[in-house]
Amino acid sequence: MKTINANTKIATLIKEHSDALEAIVSISPKFTKLRNPILRKVIAGRTSIAMAAKIGGCKVEDFFNKLQTLGFKIDSNTAVDAEETVVNTLPKFMQEIKPEQIIELDVRPVIDAGKDPLSEIVQTVKSLYNGKVLKIINSFEPTPLMHLLGNQGFEFYAETIHADLVNTYFHRKENKVETVNEQEKNYAEGWDEIVKSFEGNLVTVDVRQLEMPLPMHTILEALETLPLGKALFVYHKRIPVFLLPELEQQGFNYRIQEISDAEVHLLIYKD
Amino acid sequence: MFPTSTNMADTKTTSYKVVLPFYAYGACSFLVATILLLFSLSTVNTHYFTPHNLAIVHSMALGWGTMMILGASHQLVPVMIEGKLYSNTLAYLSFAFAAVGIPVLVYGFYTFNMGHFTQCAGLFIVFSIICYLINLAASMLKSKNENVHAYFVFTAVLWLLITVILGVLMLYNFSYNVLPKTSLDYLPLHAHIGIVGWFLLLVIGVGSRLIPMFLISKYSNNQQLWWIYGLINGGLLFFIAAFLLALPNMCLLIPLIAIAISIVLFGNFCYKSYQARIRKKVDEQMKISLLSVLIMCLPILFLLIIIIGLVATNSGNMNFLISYGFVIFFGWITAIILGMTFKTLPFIIWNRTYHRLAGKGKTPNPKDLFSEFIFKWMAIFYLIGFFLFIVGIVFSVVLLVQIASFLLVICSVLYNCNIVKLFMHKSKIIL
Repeated sequence: MKTINANTKIATLIKEHSDALEAIVSISPKFTKLRNPILRKVIAGRTSIAMAAKIGGCKVEDFFNKLQTLGFKIDSNTAVDAEETVVNTLPKFMQEIKPEQIIELDVRPVIDAGKDPLSEIVQTVKSLYNGKVLKIINSFEPTPLMHLLGNQGFEFYAETIHADLVNTYFHRKENKVETVNEQEKNYAEGWDEIVKSFEGNLVTVDVRQLEMPLPMHTILEALETLPLGKALFVYHKRIPVFLLPELEQQGFNYRIQEISDAEVHLLIYKD
Repeated sequence: MFPTSTNMADTKTTSYKVVLPFYAYGACSFLVATILLLFSLSTVNTHYFTPHNLAIVHSMALGWGTMMILGASHQLVPVMIEGKLYSNTLAYLSFAFAAVGIPVLVYGFYTFNMGHFTQCAGLFIVFSIICYLINLAASMLKSKNENVHAYFVFTAVLWLLITVILGVLMLYNFSYNVLPKTSLDYLPLHAHIGIVGWFLLLVIGVGSRLIPMFLISKYSNNQQLWWIYGLINGGLLFFIAAFLLALPNMCLLIPLIAIAISIVLFGNFCYKSYQARIRKKVDEQMKISLLSVLIMCLPILFLLIIIIGLVATNSGNMNFLISYGFVIFFGWITAIILGMTFKTLPFIIWNRTYHRLAGKGKTPNPKDLFSEFIFKWMAIFYLIGFFLFIVGIVFSVVLLVQIASFLLVICSVLYNCNIVKLFMHKSKIIL
């Protein structure tokens, strides 16, 4: 029979011995979810005995005692992997968190319906920029998820409200390269959407050849006669920074698209 | 119909990395200068040629005025000539030489030690200006766009170079006989080439472009600007000739009148721009900048009193001489920088932070990157401090001068708070 330790995955146990599943479920009622084959497939593979003990609110020894009776050889000397230790002090991002930065995701209904919430979580995680924090509401501490996202450069913090309610917070650590790429992608999308919404309603003006300060005058003049519901599309040599406060003051909204160092497109419109 | 792509590529904006060190340096110098002023009150009205006064004037003229102008012009000149800055390396060199030279020079003056260190510091400042002049000339040659403003700026930098070279000669003249007369004798020449040739010409050249632009006014009058250019340079050349040929004091009225007319013409230019403005509401930064244009009349007034005194008694009234210098450096130049900093720096910071993000979402208004509240109080402390100081000096009321200097220190602290706020600004766009 296989030798197991605190880091052995639940999936390994179940695969090794057909009775292991019921033995584990008998340890804590929280493990009844494992009876669901889909959930078992996705969660058990990511969860070690040590993690499961934490989720179930029991000890690693409880697992060993039950599993020993099934014939597993126990190696209780192997320490829990360093990364399995969960941070319990309040991390910096939690101290600075503002209510408007929190994106809440209650995964309890998904899990209760016997589905894997992972894909939904991963989808939400993609939008975690500029200090946004994902708050996962769950009936247990999602230790596997914490390690999965921890490896992807997230900080996390779990707070147990009561035995059946645990809030876990995830926050992306500063990672410049990745952030910029993601931002540039998003930024092009924002531009395209707005240009599309004004399709057929664009008034175009090209100020690239004009000498300062004529571009500004030309744009302001064009805006004066801009029909309601239309947007002004400007070809410019650079971002006209001095124009921006003026646009704001006149109640215009704008988007800027940098094509190159010498070409900038502007879209000016009223909401 | 469309310009070629190579032509378009020449319009690249100067990197913020080149410009920001100058602004930071200028802001610190202003703080140092006001603190020096506060601790030098016992000697401030004895004579203009005292160690402390020399230290204060040079931290103001070089550290504050010149560094701020160099910073802003690295950004603005390429925009004005529709070209791009020739070399970032020269710009960094220019900064580095000045950044090392100025404090050593100021310390040398403060301790009245005109030895090797101070002389070297002077040479460093000359190198700095040469770097800037080469950079400017090369940028202008590459751009085929010629305009009156560029001539103002270029001529001004030539005068600045002459000023600093003369300054270095005066430094060496303390140790070796390089000049026929004593350094004190050359002070009026050094000071006026600097004040009129560098500051006045530059402020009018750049101001005549920026003031209509910020007011969003279509007013332009190149012919009048060329007249101003001729009057200032003609007046200054006449002054130099009068000095070198030791013409009678009465002759000093001729350059004074020429300069006075040029200032009146420039005032008129600003007034016409103001009247023709599209933006009805004028913000606080523009108000203080326009006030600075009005303050330009004060030195003319003081100078008139001084020249009349010179002609009548053959000696200058010390209170008016000190006030004259104060009005120029703490009045006119400081007021325009206080205003223009917050008309230029927020846009540079905005560009640094948001140009890549602008398409994504709503970006903050560049003018919201600094605190309007701090700016307002800075302006109030400045104006009260400035006017109390003049009254205190002219009527020799020590208490007024003390209070005024303290208010100016508060003003410079508030100014620096806003600068720090701008420098620390980070993107707030939520993606």
